[in-house]
Formats: sequence, C-alpha cells, structure tokens
Amino acid sequence: MRFPVGSTAWLLAHEIRLAWRTALRGKVGRRRLIIVSALLTVGTAAIGLPAALFLRHVQIPITPVTVAVSDVALLALFSLMLSQTLSATVETFYTRGDLDLLLSSPLTPRKILTTRVLAMAANVFTGAAVLITPVLLPVALLGHPTWIAVYGVLAALAFGACAAGLVAALALFRLIGPLRTRAVAQVMAAVIGGAFFLVTQVRNILGAHQTSVWMDVASSAARSGAGGSPLAALPLRALLGGTGPLVVMLGVGAVLLTAATLWIGRRFDDIAAAAGGAAILHPRRPSREAPFARGAFAATVKKELRLLGRDAALLSQVLLRLLYLVPLIILALRNASGHAHWALPSGVAAVTLMVGQVAASLSWITFSAEDTPELLKCAPAAFATLSRAKMTAALGPLAVLMFAPLVILIVISPRAGLAALAGCIASGLASGLINSWRRGNGKRAEFLRRGTVSYTVAIAQFLIGALIAAAAGLAAAGSLLAPAPFFLAGVVLFFLRRSDQAIIKAVS
Amino acid sequence: MPDALVIEHLSKAYGKPAVDDLRLTVRAGELYALLGPNGAGKTTTLRMVAGLLEPDTGSIRIFGIDARADPTAAKQITAWAPDEPLLYDRLSPMEYLEFVAGLWGVEPGPARERAEQLLRWLGLWEERHQRCESFSRGMKQKTALAGALIHDPRLLILDEPLTGLDAAAARLVKDILIERVRGGGAVVLTTHILEVAERMADRIGIIRQGRLVAEGSLEELRAGARQSARTLEDVFLDLTGEAA
Repeated sequence: MRFPVGSTAWLLAHEIRLAWRTALRGKVGRRRLIIVSALLTVGTAAIGLPAALFLRHVQIPITPVTVAVSDVALLALFSLMLSQTLSATVETFYTRGDLDLLLSSPLTPRKILTTRVLAMAANVFTGAAVLITPVLLPVALLGHPTWIAVYGVLAALAFGACAAGLVAALALFRLIGPLRTRAVAQVMAAVIGGAFFLVTQVRNILGAHQTSVWMDVASSAARSGAGGSPLAALPLRALLGGTGPLVVMLGVGAVLLTAATLWIGRRFDDIAAAAGGAAILHPRRPSREAPFARGAFAATVKKELRLLGRDAALLSQVLLRLLYLVPLIILALRNASGHAHWALPSGVAAVTLMVGQVAASLSWITFSAEDTPELLKCAPAAFATLSRAKMTAALGPLAVLMFAPLVILIVISPRAGLAALAGCIASGLASGLINSWRRGNGKRAEFLRRGTVSYTVAIAQFLIGALIAAAAGLAAAGSLLAPAPFFLAGVVLFFLRRSDQAIIKAVS
Repeated sequence: MPDALVIEHLSKAYGKPAVDDLRLTVRAGELYALLGPNGAGKTTTLRMVAGLLEPDTGSIRIFGIDARADPTAAKQITAWAPDEPLLYDRLSPMEYLEFVAGLWGVEPGPARERAEQLLRWLGLWEERHQRCESFSRGMKQKTALAGALIHDPRLLILDEPLTGLDAAAARLVKDILIERVRGGGAVVLTTHILEVAERMADRIGIIRQGRLVAEGSLEELRAGARQSARTLEDVFLDLTGEAA
C-alpha cells in the first residue's frame, strides 16, 4: 500500500520499515526472530493450551473482588508501560539520528512527533501482546472469543502510557532543564518500573507474613465497595469483551494521546533543538583542575568510569537491577538474624545472581562499546593492561556498592556472608570475563539497548550466573554439594574463553 | 640520524592487491605528502605504518625501529590521526587528552602542561570542559590533532588532516606541521587538496594501484612528467593516468 508522500502514514511506514530492518538485521536479527517464534510456539503448547482447556467453561463474574484484582493488575502493567514510554520519549528528544534531517524538511514538527509517538505506542503494545499471546490466543479460540478484547485494552493502556510519558518528559524538561532531563528521566523510568516489584516486597522487607500486598490492596478495595462502582468495573468489562467499555477505554486512551501529541508537537522542534544543544549551553566545569592519571591502566579506568557515569540509559538499567537487589539483600539480612533455614540460602543465591546480572550489564558496555578502537590499537599500551582496566572500571562500582551489605551479612551470619561474598566475586568476575572474551565492536551510542548481544553468550552468561548462585546458596546452607554447580560453571566458562589474540582478531 | 620511515617491499591484499611491493623512504625533518587517486592504497599504507593493519609481506622501520618486530617501541614515537577524528563524544577535550597521555605513558605533570599548551594553541582552551559531542567537525579535528601531539611523537601520520577545517584552522594546522618538521620530526600526510602538498611538502610520493609511480620534490616530479605539466595537478593527472 502506498501512502501520500509526506503524510503521517507515509512517515510511519518509513519508521516501521527501518525498525523492522534493524530488528532483523544480520545473523543476530534472524536468530532473534527464530527464538521469539520458538518461545511463542512452546509457550502456546505448554501453557496456553492447558490454560485454554481449563478455562473453557469458566466464566469470570464481575464482582468487587474480580474488579479490584483486574484493576490492580492493569495498574501494575500501566506502570511498567509508563517506565518504557518515559525512557523512550526522552530518547526521542535527545537522540539525533535522522531527527535533524526530518526537522530540516518541510514536514511539521507535530507530524514528526506523532510518528515517533505512534511507533513508541506500537512498541509498548507489541511487547505486552507478545507476552500474553501464547495464553490468550488459545483461550480465546477454544471457548472465550470475546476475550480477544484484551488486545484492545492493552492498546488503550499503551496510548495512555505514551501520553503520560510525553507529559512527564516535558514537565521534567521545563522543571530541571535539558541538561539534566535525560539522566533524571532514565532514573525515574527505572524507579517506576521497579516500583511495582518493590511494593510487592514491602511485606517481606518489613518482616510481615508472606502474603501478597496486591492481594491485600485488592481485598481492601473490594471490602470498601470501590470495586463495585461502574467506573472501577470498566476495565474488567472491557477485558471480557464488553464493546461499550472497550470503546470507552480505547477512546480515552486515544484522546489523551492525541491531546498530549498536539500540545507537545507545537514545540517539538524547540525541545529537540534545546536537547541537542544542552551540552553547549551548559558546559560542565569541574570545581578544580584535577591532576592527570598516571599510565594506561589508571587513565583507562578513569575514562571508563566517566563514560559509565554519563550513560543515562545504562544507569537506568543498572539502577533497575539494583532496585531488585534491595529487597533481596534486606531479606537475606533479616533471615540471617532470624536463622531461617531455607530463606537465607535462597536470599544469598538471589543476591549472587543479581550481582552477576548487574556486572554483566556494566562489563558488556565497557568492553563492547568502544568509540575509538583504532586509538587503543595504535597506542603502545598492552591489550591485557587495557582489558584489566576495563574490568576494574566495570566491576569497581559494584564492589563498592556491595561492600557494606556483605560485611554486615558476614558479621550476622559468617557462613552465609562468606558464601555470598564468594558468590558475588565469582559471578561478577565470570560476567566480566565473558564480556571481555566475547566482546562486540561498536560505538557507545549504538549500545543503548542490550539487544545486540549474542544470544548464545547471553544464555551461557545466565547459566553460569545461575550455577554460581546455586553454589553460593548451597554453601550458605552448609551443603557439601556446593562445589558441584561451581565446577559446572567453571566448565562452561572454560569453553567460552578466548586468548587476547583471538579477541583482537574477532573485533578487528 | 636514521631515516624517519623506511618501507620496503610492503604488500597487502584484500583479494586483489591494495598495496603492492611498496618502497618508500621519509627522512627526518621532512614533510612527505602521499598522493594518489581513490583506492590507490594510501590509507592502507598509513594504517600499516601506524600498526593498525598487519602487512602480508615487507618491512617498516620507524627511526630505526623495526615496527613489525617491536611494535610497542615503534608506536611509542608515532602518532596516527585519521580523517575521522578518534574521539569520545562524552569526554571533554581535557579528559580526552588525559586518556591519550595515559595510553602513551606520559607523566601526569608534563602531560597536563602540554595539554594546556596544545588546547590554547589550537584555540580550544575555553571549550576544554565541554563535551566533544557538541563540537563542530573542525573542533573535533583539532581535538584529535591535540591528542596526536600530546606525547610529542617523532613521526606524525595524518590522513586528510585538513578535512572540515576552516581557513584559519587549516593555516594553524599547517603551521604546527611545519614546526614539527623543523624540530627534527617527520610528517607523512595524505591529502586530496593538491595545493597543500604543493606548498608544504618537501617531497611528494604518488601512488597508484598500490605502487609508488613517482617520488621527489615538485621540481623533480615536473621533470619526470610530460612537458606541458606545470602544476602538481597536471603532474598528478599525468602520472596517475587520470588526465581527461
């Protein structure tokens, strides 16, 4: 189908074509498509079909409890979507790409923003739709055809999240200025994304009994009668296929998104120009001229730490993972003082796993995103020295962050604390080594998302992290089996190793 | 004093030869311009000298150091500045120079003084704390040049050093290069602006299909070309067979 040249539909088709080609580019892209297709098929067969057979004759009643549960679930989903759209909106403002070309063309800024916003909404909707399709599709086909309306509710939520993301990003832009908005918005996005998880852990953190906070919220909402109001029941009615409620939800979402786009679209070119010129308008001046670093190792560590600290998207990812770590650490510390038998080793294993994941994020970008590989190659510094420096820069901040909690854990429960310490060191080092051996080759600006990492390496990395976490957990429990998973992790790691020469050849 | 750069029987092929049995000598205290049509093998040659590409055969000696046998020692006295500046967008010029000085093992004190001197000289002192991402092409080019000079290299290799520079910046860079040469260093550069080679170079090498087809001062090249060749452009087009 051909759209009129210069129309919103024409521009949107161009964006979709670019996104599609980028997603499926090269071997990694094709592999990604195969893996997603395989996961959808397996998910449909393993979860979707049994669920469909089980739910075939089940009717969901509209009661205060079901209304409250569905509202809370949709609220949680909305918070996750908002986290994505806030981050994406800010990147729309700041990432130049072809923005300068588009803004210099006769296309109106509003049209350009509309296209970007629709692409953002489509992205958020697709992410959620792909996750629920293996279950929803069989359920809808085998007994509940009206439940296909769930897709409509997802679209309405995606529209609403995009509108809220746009308004929040503009508010930040106005309040704190273009220089700080990018970093603050990424942090906010991480906090919003992690907030749902943190709230679910409030009871665990506070030491209350193991019941779900969300179930409590839903129960109190139901008891208070809020779940019985027509407005509160609207989302559930829409989910179950009620045409009127679905139209209302989609309409509200579309109106909010249109209003936000029209409002911000008028000043989009000014915002993009201000974002692009932020560094010029506000040069950073250190309070004093610091002395230079001595030697290749120190200079590289300093350079990498500076670049890590200035990568707002990466900081957001790391912060999100650290937010997930907080309740796990608190849980481990509390159980350590209470001498809980299995809760403590589980906490130690979870902390070890999360430390490995954070280390993977930091070391992946440190090793793989190098803006000037030629500069390093023509310098007289040894490759091994530069690799050690990058490893230090990637793992150093994590070591500093984990130091105090691990010391406290060792004091409270020496065995568990030492197991956690050994696990964290091993999983951090393993992640660092894997990302050093299997490093990619690209500019930092191209590494905003983890999408370019090889799936094989990502799976091996997760496997090694899980094995080390299991070993740490078993060690914390005093099990003699602890060395077994640790040994297995070592075997997998052994097969991933590469010599310096092989790494140089691979990235050249 | 040994010659600044001696290349003998240098070859590199990517399926077909990019550099083919190249021989070339650059003396200390000389500015040497390497010219040739697109794809002639100029950049490939310079990248091999800078240690970025492994030659298939041949030898490279930099101030008497065998660059293939002892690449670290050769790199220590060499600097490479390609046409695309080697910069980190999220670092300021001062931070960039600190990193480069560290890579070449320059002591922190002298490195800082030299960084200040270079940034003032190149007119970047006021922007020393501004991130390079906001710089114009010319400012990036000047920052990269400061990086190439921070360790006071004896051999400076430049690929299209004047690309993107305005007239004032181009003059500044030319002055810097001439000063390096007067100080006993050597500069090897490629350029598409033949006037630069004509005015600045002590000797000019013309490369075609990976081989040196002519070498010498402008007068020597004129003598070797057909009678009507008066300017370097005439000589260049005559020797590379690109004359209309």
